[in-house]
Amino acid sequence: MLQSKTFVKKTKAGRVQKVVREHYLRDDIPCGAASCSACAAVEHPLAADAAAILVVDTNVVLHQIDLLENPAIEDVVLLSVVLDEVKNKNLSVFNRIKALCSNKARRFFVFTNEHHRDTYIKEMVGEGPNDRNDRAIRVATRWYQSHLGDNVKVLLITNDRDNKRKAIEEGINADTVESYVRSLAQPGLLDLVAVSTSGDVAMEDVEDLRPSKRKVIYSEHKPMSEITSGLRCGIYHQGKLRVNRYNPFEAYVGSESIGDEIVIHGRSNMNRAFDGDIVAVELLPQDQWHESKSFIADDDEDYAEEDVHLAPNSADDAPRNTNHTQSTVASSAAAVSSRPVGRVVGIIKRNWNSYCGSLEPMPMPAGSGGIAHALFVSKDRRIPKIRIQTRQLGNLLDKRIIVAVDLWDVLSRYPSGHYVRTIGDIGDKDTETEVVLIENDINTRPFSTQVLACLPPLPWTLSPEDLANRNRQDLRHVRVFSVDPPGCRDIDDALHCTPLPNGNFEVGVHIADVTNFVHPGTPLDEEATQRGTSVYLVGQRIDMLPKPLTEDVCSLRADVERLAFSVVWEMTPHADIISTRYTKSVIKSCAAMSYVEAQARMDDSRMVDPLTVDLRNLNSLAKIMRHRRCERGALTLASAEVKFEIDSETHDPLDIGIYQIREANQMIEEFMLAANISVAEKILKHFPLCSLLRFLNQLSGLAQKLEFEPNSSFGRPTFSESVDSRQCLQIVRLVAINRD
Amino acid sequence: MEYVNPLTGFRVDGRRPNEMRQLKGEIGVVAKADGSALFEMGNTRVIAAVYGPREVQNKGQQVNSKEALVRCEYRMAEFSTGDRRRKPKGDRRSTEISLVIRQTMEASILTHLMPRSQIDIFVQVLQADGGTRSACINAATLALADAGIPMRDIVTSCSAGYLCSIPLLDLNYIEDSAGGPDVTVGILAKMDKVTLLQMDAKLPMDTFENVMELAIEGCKAIANYIREVLLENTKQLECQRG
Amino acid sequence: MVGLSEGEKHFIRGGISQDLRADGRRRLQFRAVSVETGVIPQANGSARVRLGATEVIASVKAELGKPSILHPDKGKVSIFVDCSPTAAPMFEGRGSEELSTELSVALQRCLLGGKSGAGAAIDLSSLIVVDGKVCWDLYIDGLVVSSDGNLLDALASAIKVALSDTGIPKVNVSLSAATEEEPEVDVSDEEFVQFDTSSVPVIVTLTKVGKDYIVDATPEEESQMSSAVSVSVNRHGKICGLTKRGGAGLDPSVIFDMISVAKHVSQQFLSLLDSEIASAEAAE
Repeated sequence: MLQSKTFVKKTKAGRVQKVVREHYLRDDIPCGAASCSACAAVEHPLAADAAAILVVDTNVVLHQIDLLENPAIEDVVLLSVVLDEVKNKNLSVFNRIKALCSNKARRFFVFTNEHHRDTYIKEMVGEGPNDRNDRAIRVATRWYQSHLGDNVKVLLITNDRDNKRKAIEEGINADTVESYVRSLAQPGLLDLVAVSTSGDVAMEDVEDLRPSKRKVIYSEHKPMSEITSGLRCGIYHQGKLRVNRYNPFEAYVGSESIGDEIVIHGRSNMNRAFDGDIVAVELLPQDQWHESKSFIADDDEDYAEEDVHLAPNSADDAPRNTNHTQSTVASSAAAVSSRPVGRVVGIIKRNWNSYCGSLEPMPMPAGSGGIAHALFVSKDRRIPKIRIQTRQLGNLLDKRIIVAVDLWDVLSRYPSGHYVRTIGDIGDKDTETEVVLIENDINTRPFSTQVLACLPPLPWTLSPEDLANRNRQDLRHVRVFSVDPPGCRDIDDALHCTPLPNGNFEVGVHIADVTNFVHPGTPLDEEATQRGTSVYLVGQRIDMLPKPLTEDVCSLRADVERLAFSVVWEMTPHADIISTRYTKSVIKSCAAMSYVEAQARMDDSRMVDPLTVDLRNLNSLAKIMRHRRCERGALTLASAEVKFEIDSETHDPLDIGIYQIREANQMIEEFMLAANISVAEKILKHFPLCSLLRFLNQLSGLAQKLEFEPNSSFGRPTFSESVDSRQCLQIVRLVAINRD
Repeated sequence: MEYVNPLTGFRVDGRRPNEMRQLKGEIGVVAKADGSALFEMGNTRVIAAVYGPREVQNKGQQVNSKEALVRCEYRMAEFSTGDRRRKPKGDRRSTEISLVIRQTMEASILTHLMPRSQIDIFVQVLQADGGTRSACINAATLALADAGIPMRDIVTSCSAGYLCSIPLLDLNYIEDSAGGPDVTVGILAKMDKVTLLQMDAKLPMDTFENVMELAIEGCKAIANYIREVLLENTKQLECQRG
Repeated sequence: MVGLSEGEKHFIRGGISQDLRADGRRRLQFRAVSVETGVIPQANGSARVRLGATEVIASVKAELGKPSILHPDKGKVSIFVDCSPTAAPMFEGRGSEELSTELSVALQRCLLGGKSGAGAAIDLSSLIVVDGKVCWDLYIDGLVVSSDGNLLDALASAIKVALSDTGIPKVNVSLSAATEEEPEVDVSDEEFVQFDTSSVPVIVTLTKVGKDYIVDATPEEESQMSSAVSVSVNRHGKICGLTKRGGAGLDPSVIFDMISVAKHVSQQFLSLLDSEIASAEAAE
């Protein structure tokens, strides 16, 4: 069954090496078609009554993934050669196509043509890998046709003119994406077809280019070879382009070769680069290094254009009379800055994505139903407007939609893209919520069955094995309680405070022992790693871990036995820590209070029950600790929290207010901090080389930029004292919280 | 890196997880030796030569005069790996593998039938593409059989690993360098006894059982193949005799 | 190493003097030669040569390196030989070192010329990529798998065959403007440059037993030699190197005679080898 074939490859890892790998060719790879009786396959994703079995080439997958994801496209064969190329070129598209192939509801089939005896081909002398792969696709398509016989039509979908011609010459049915989609007679589907790039088969309805009338707006990107040699010589600098969130006409490229950020002013210098692209930048002469105050002008330029673009097919690419660089020079030639200023000469890696937004309002063109050209405005200001073609303009005008970018040539002011899907009406609460979630790339899918399979059997109860574990201490007799916001369901921390006979207190902080249920490497762990955090919206919570875990098994609710991880201190009444121990534990909380409740208990002098006394003791300790911490120069970084008034019936937010911080909140915060500090000390002690502790050293550098004089390093009282201006403190806060 | 394609279930070289590389065994490749064999597992190719039983050359090495002394040396050719590096002879890895092969073969040779004598097993790696120690043991078995040395059973060896949460049989060099666990097993095929077991990474107990089970299956398949090679060889000898 | 009785010794010597050797050969007749190329796929060139029961493998690996300062216009070639213990138990451990070194040095002398690289059988200047910056380093490794006499001749012919099998990747050099910089070298995966092996010599060892000399001696015959002269001769009949071994002294006139005999025999051997190479390449 196995056939061995070795092929020779040379890798260039500094040295020349001849690599020999085995490559087995097989005769037992099924074709995946239900109509086929020859292949002994268990699964037949390709339907027996399929109108045509489609074989797609690499560029179709790369550019038309939105189309492929549409349920109208079925019975697709993906060759392993195509998947490998897609994986090398664009990992995110690869992941999407992979998801399609593993989706049982879709009829997509992966055919390992590279290991099939009849479809493996060797590269011919002088052929080159691309031509070889195109040929492999044609050979596999022909194999399918001859394998399945005349009853089934096998169609090669390619936009490559050359490949299509060769395929037809070899007697293979081949078609372009556009004409195939057209043949399906579903007008809406054509919107999903990505704009074809140069070298592809031209779209039939492509607009009149009128080359004589079109002006070049952007400078041509340098060829890759020139970029690599330029990078090596130090003429160009490589880095990731980041567009200013507040001014989309200004961008920065962090460059290692310069050791500083290069500022890029204006769209023409950004030269069609998107936020997140890896670009090559050329520095401008030093006399052009100035702080740009011209973005307002740039903005004007952009807004002034808007009405020009309303009509479809309008000359939105007409040259602007103002050359941006000139205007910059004119407006701010005086302020020469020390920061290097540059312009993008080439794009090394695109970070094109799909974006949420809406179409620019425009009147319905006469004879609606035809093809309309519209401008799409992303909610993310950093993204330029995107031109799309649509046949359903009326449906899209007041909708939030998703659009993907396809290309941006030097002749057009804006990139071209295609419609992907509609989210909903603009202004609708659910639509806008979804937009926020999509924009922040938050995974809202329900947990998969594999993930849910990792959960312990429910209802969960404490098992004798847990108690028998020598590392787990039984603290069920201790008076543990929790204080949380009202209605909190995922109670992850609890405390206790027991007076000791010697006048000291035993204080404990108990954190739900999630590690007992989430084991490393399991699907549950991987899912949680990927989600990273729970996301709280006004009326919704997107969990990091499944609800049974967060709201039940790992929620330290009152009167149930729960597993916890505890830090237990012995403290003097002056809040000096005498001893600290760390243990896994079993606890049974006696009360789950809200902050208001806890505060009320402490304030009510008539109450003298043990729980209230515990609370008061804790509070007095917390006050001392807090005072001491502030004296040591702690920055109060917590920003004001907001709370929402929710309509009890519609669950819509009615009002927004500042969350009132009570002593009880500060008390809990203080002990959580103390526990964190103790744990950090413990980790640092045992793993001095690999402890990941946050180090805010850069803050003092930032403070210098803001022209404070921190007299000594950050963290000493002097720093806080020198931060007198409220505004500056706000900046430091922002930086300290939002470093990314 | 995906060592097993999740969509098709094929490994990088086109094998299924439980498939072995192509085997090839050839007897009598070194004319002057008492027994010799070539064994290939895919691109791993080794030669084994057996000299003996003969008089003990260095009396000092003889521990027990009632049993034959079994000696073994493992050597890699300079050109056997992708990057050519001159290594000193008798480096630690070679010494360790020599020892492993010797102990594994000793477990099968009926040493008590050949007192005061010495058997030398020399294995030379011509191409290394993962699983050299298994290939060496298989080659040595063939060479010992060729030399007519009495053995309890056929000893065969095969490795198995665990990558992408799937047990894989007979790792090649790329898979071996992936950093996953590599379980090398040697068995006495008919007696169903394990004579060699090595693993170089951590694995949960139940996974280990599966991986080891797979390696044992591999050993058994190799034993069948070796039996075929020996049978074929004997038939040829018979023909030559007339 | 070879234990022979007096009778056997007498028989061998007597046979040689009567031009009928123990295995039926004439004095100047080689044993059957078989050649296989491409036996080591990960090498740039390789060959297996069998001469009777002697079997050797030679591999050629090419790596990019830097030329030496003394010879900026030449590449480098190094030859190492290893005798596998599979060939003989005496090669076990460090037992093969002496013989391996002797063979390596003899081959270097015959193939690589003097220290300056002048007179080398392999054209070292063809290995240069960029003068003074980049060159090919050829590593030639010989492995004796089975030993049945005349190892040197077998190794030399294996190296010759391996070199003719060697394809060195074609290199495109993009010289950047700044000359101090390391030149950018782009190695092609598909195109190979074949090596010119027409001037690579073979070695013919004449073993003197009694008054006569024989070629391609077996270990039994080697044990009876008084001295041996290894002559490396190329296609053009030029002598590239010479090694004399063995204890007994030789009269200069005998040496000249031996050389001319070796030259004559070598042309036959080269033709034989060339046809073997051609058929091996056809088989591959």
